[in-house]
Amino acid sequence: MNHQEALREMAVERYLLGELSGTSLDSFEEHLFECPECTMEVRTGVSFIDAARTELGAPRGVTAPHRQNARSWTFWFTSPWILAPALAACLLLLAFETFVLQPRMKLEVAQAQAPAVLNPLILANAGPRGDSIPEIAAPEHGSFVISLDVPATGGFSSYRCSLQGPEGSLLWQTTVSSEQARDALLINMPTDKTKEGLNTFLIQGLPANGDANGTLVDLARYRFHVTIQK
Amino acid sequence: MNFVTFDASYVNKLRAGDAPTEQHFIIYFSELILLKLRPRLRSQEQIEDVKQETFSRTFSLIRSEGGLRHAERLGPLVNSICNNVLMEQYRSSNRVEALEDEAAERLVETRPNALNMVISDDTRKVVRRVLDGLNERDRSLLQAVFLEERDKDEVCTELGVDRDYLRVLLHRAKASFRVMYSKQADAKKSGWVFG
Repeated sequence: MNHQEALREMAVERYLLGELSGTSLDSFEEHLFECPECTMEVRTGVSFIDAARTELGAPRGVTAPHRQNARSWTFWFTSPWILAPALAACLLLLAFETFVLQPRMKLEVAQAQAPAVLNPLILANAGPRGDSIPEIAAPEHGSFVISLDVPATGGFSSYRCSLQGPEGSLLWQTTVSSEQARDALLINMPTDKTKEGLNTFLIQGLPANGDANGTLVDLARYRFHVTIQK
Repeated sequence: MNFVTFDASYVNKLRAGDAPTEQHFIIYFSELILLKLRPRLRSQEQIEDVKQETFSRTFSLIRSEGGLRHAERLGPLVNSICNNVLMEQYRSSNRVEALEDEAAERLVETRPNALNMVISDDTRKVVRRVLDGLNERDRSLLQAVFLEERDKDEVCTELGVDRDYLRVLLHRAKASFRVMYSKQADAKKSGWVFG
């Protein structure tokens, strides 16, 4: 047997499968002993078969468990039964974002940027301990203006303004300089920063001489009622 | 295994007792002799005896007056000497029927390592990848043939394939293994972990 005959007859595979016998076996083995290529093929085949028997499972008839995990991992990325619904879901999400969310967001931005007359909530005349509680009808997703006076007591380097909700939770907070506090404060308050019901606007002063603990001093509490217009 | 040409230079080195050449010669042909003998002899001790006797007679012949006239026939010479020693082994064991006439049904037998080679983790990983790339039928076919050692005709009939399909499957799996293993070896050499 020469090399071409060995290739044509798949002699290496037949040898590995134990299908050669008699004259054909002798002939191939004589060729094998002189052909480095066929020797390499047989050696490779033996290595593969030995390792494959181990990987196919030492207990007979049992598939190596890791193959199942590997198959599951790739299954999610290659199975059409998974890919098609996933693609449909992605397209649906894209359509929702394009035709619903984005136009809504653009409208909201446009509304926010457009000039508009804002409802005023004047706390300046109410007095910090006034009996009447001002009310404001605030547009949903809109804003209104709060006008208030910072009590004219000196000795504070800055003032903290806090908005508290009906339960006393802190909804919003900012710091006002002493220069800003000289005049009435006008605060553009988004309705979303308030809660429907009784809100409290707290003004606190930070002493200029530097209290030892930096403790804020309560100066005024303005209560007002918010009704959200839908 | 390096491809070495069994030429006059190689034979002269063997004749002169060059140690590296002798070592290469023994390693190279030991594997082939083991492949040849395992289906034919039951005992590892007998296999070893035949192998050693084959080498001994080969070296004696090479180093004798006249020696090996055609260096390129070194391989067939070793095979021929091995056949003769094997026949003597049969006679000494009072075997009536020569096993060489039987089909070498199980070249890779139940022993975990046919050529006493250590199956490295790298080899197993590559083989695992090759097996993972097979469809269920092909994997079942290989499992039935090599792990369960079932009758090949029976397995092929059961899975709806013929013996040619089995040979082609083995050929392709072997080729995939060789390619992947080479890539992995190259990747490791260049510092990248593969697989």
